[in-house]
Amino acid sequence: MKIITYAIALSMLAASIANAQTADIFGYFEPEYTGIYHDDSYYQFLYNKLRVDLKSTAVKNTEFGADVIFLLYYGKTDWNVLDFLPEDITSTVPPEMRPLYEFTYQDTFYLDNAYARFSLNRFAITGGKQQISLGTGYFANPTDVFNAKDALDPTYEQPGHHGLRMDYLLGSRLSLMALFSPIEMDWETSGKLLRAKLGIGHFDFGAMGIEMPYTLTDFYTFGVSEQTRRSIGGDIVGELLGLGVWAEGLYTFLEEDTNDFYEFLVGTDYTFESGLYTMLEYHHNSQAKSDHENYDLNDWMRFLTGETKTISSDQIYGLITYPLTDLLLLGGSVVFSVSDYSAAIVPMIQYSLFENIELLLMANIYTGEEGTAYSSTLGDGFLLRASVYY
Amino acid sequence: MTRNMITPTHLIRFFALLLIALPFASIYAQEDLTADQILEILTETMNPEQSQGLMKMTILTSSGQERTFEYETFSKGQGEKSLMKYLKPQRVKGQTILMLNDANDIWTYFPRTKRIRKLATHAKKQKVEGSDFSYEDMGASNTFIEEYDAMRLKDEKKEGRQCYKLELTRHPDSDAGYSRIILWVDKEQYVPLVIDYYHDDDHQLQEKQLICSNIQLIDEIYTPMECTMYNKLDNTHTSMEIVEITYAVDLPDDLFTEMGMQR
Repeated sequence: MKIITYAIALSMLAASIANAQTADIFGYFEPEYTGIYHDDSYYQFLYNKLRVDLKSTAVKNTEFGADVIFLLYYGKTDWNVLDFLPEDITSTVPPEMRPLYEFTYQDTFYLDNAYARFSLNRFAITGGKQQISLGTGYFANPTDVFNAKDALDPTYEQPGHHGLRMDYLLGSRLSLMALFSPIEMDWETSGKLLRAKLGIGHFDFGAMGIEMPYTLTDFYTFGVSEQTRRSIGGDIVGELLGLGVWAEGLYTFLEEDTNDFYEFLVGTDYTFESGLYTMLEYHHNSQAKSDHENYDLNDWMRFLTGETKTISSDQIYGLITYPLTDLLLLGGSVVFSVSDYSAAIVPMIQYSLFENIELLLMANIYTGEEGTAYSSTLGDGFLLRASVYY
Repeated sequence: MTRNMITPTHLIRFFALLLIALPFASIYAQEDLTADQILEILTETMNPEQSQGLMKMTILTSSGQERTFEYETFSKGQGEKSLMKYLKPQRVKGQTILMLNDANDIWTYFPRTKRIRKLATHAKKQKVEGSDFSYEDMGASNTFIEEYDAMRLKDEKKEGRQCYKLELTRHPDSDAGYSRIILWVDKEQYVPLVIDYYHDDDHQLQEKQLICSNIQLIDEIYTPMECTMYNKLDNTHTSMEIVEITYAVDLPDDLFTEMGMQR
């Protein structure tokens, strides 16, 4: 599939050069400064990100799209995950294994997306590395088996995934989507997804079946096990008593393990006349634990590396935003773990400095006891991000 | 017998009289139009069967800064379905808004995350991209007829043109965004020249005023090429200029779908 992706990127480049008037180059430059207070010390971490997008419609009914991301890191780029975990967990790690938990942010550039999309009336097929977004939730998406959202910044863009996607519109609000996500071009072990979506009145309903390969790491031994997960799920979005409402859920059957698990999210929102926007979501993950004293090294590491979506089983997410002026948005979010009574508070200010320049100031304050999902020992911090679009 | 004969002179006189009398008859007929009839003609004029255009929207913010947006717009079914796709600035390029059922169902598409979000109807009253137009202002074609009771007031001259003046009062069970609306409709072209919008909770408090100008006949339809919405409470205004528009199009239904948003 990677070969196909690069072939698409090359053919797009060739088509764009041949038809310069139909190629569009755009993207953004994003410098970000992060300050972290941890263990009585202050650390600085910075990056400069440049995203270059290329889109071409040189061929009739076909869109070629690709983007490359360049990332340069500064400040404290070397970290050890164990420095943030509770002592009763880190004490189980032998000293000689501690370096295995270190990681370094290294300057990089990579092909984030490269796809070709052919569409004809009610049918579209997209092949290559592409963004895949599933589900109706804001803070988390149980049905999105491709991505794990950052609880503190859930709307940030997700990376591309290799896949072949087909969309077919059966009616004005009835559609089918099939996705094949290849692993070494082996049908058995590759990811497969089938989704139907139907709109009735103010509601949209989605139902899906998924078969996905999954890698589970044992972070005590760094051994890796592969498994195939089969899941069924669905989502709904609409309106009830004047409130926006949505829900999504996924039930996963494990092949050899009897511990099937499920995950669901329900949410509601309302916008007041003044522009004040409020949102509340509840998220349950039966795979995670409800007692923080049972969190172990694997739980933490799988959560931090995105192998699992949450560390605590039940969470409430609240978001509030208010447009103070046309250009200035104030807001904040709270993630509260119902399981261990810890919370992360994330105040936020967004300012439109110029037409194509946005500034974001965001802080994170953790309130929980040591060992909880949002423990104060994880360290508080803030970030200042400028997004310059071109 | 000779005196009763119809001669060519009689015919000429008859047609001459007819030509003089017709406009008066027409004016008399117009004077007899009820508020509902005027509103119906206005709604038909402002909501052609299909349209495709390029718009430029300039927002003057309360701090005096300008923000300019350009977007393509498509509508079908006399405005029942509409789709807006942003072209400029780069920050919002590709963002698409789909409104169905007179903006009672709204979806937004964000190309950077490839995510589509459905908005509940409470979002209808919110500003579109920080402008002084709400989703309801832009997407609801039948609101004046379906959500309000219309009453004809004394005709007035507005913007240098003879106008019908109508007062619309919101139905008690309606959730439309304005409690009261006063309209000045051009008597010849049936285009609104001025619309005063009154606050949702206070029918005496004027919230916005829309002024339309530069009316041109395009594909046999009178079209205000420039409209400016003044927000009286925030002291801001947003002008909307039609750069290009055509009503002679045949848009496919699948344009007004989630797949169409991503195209």
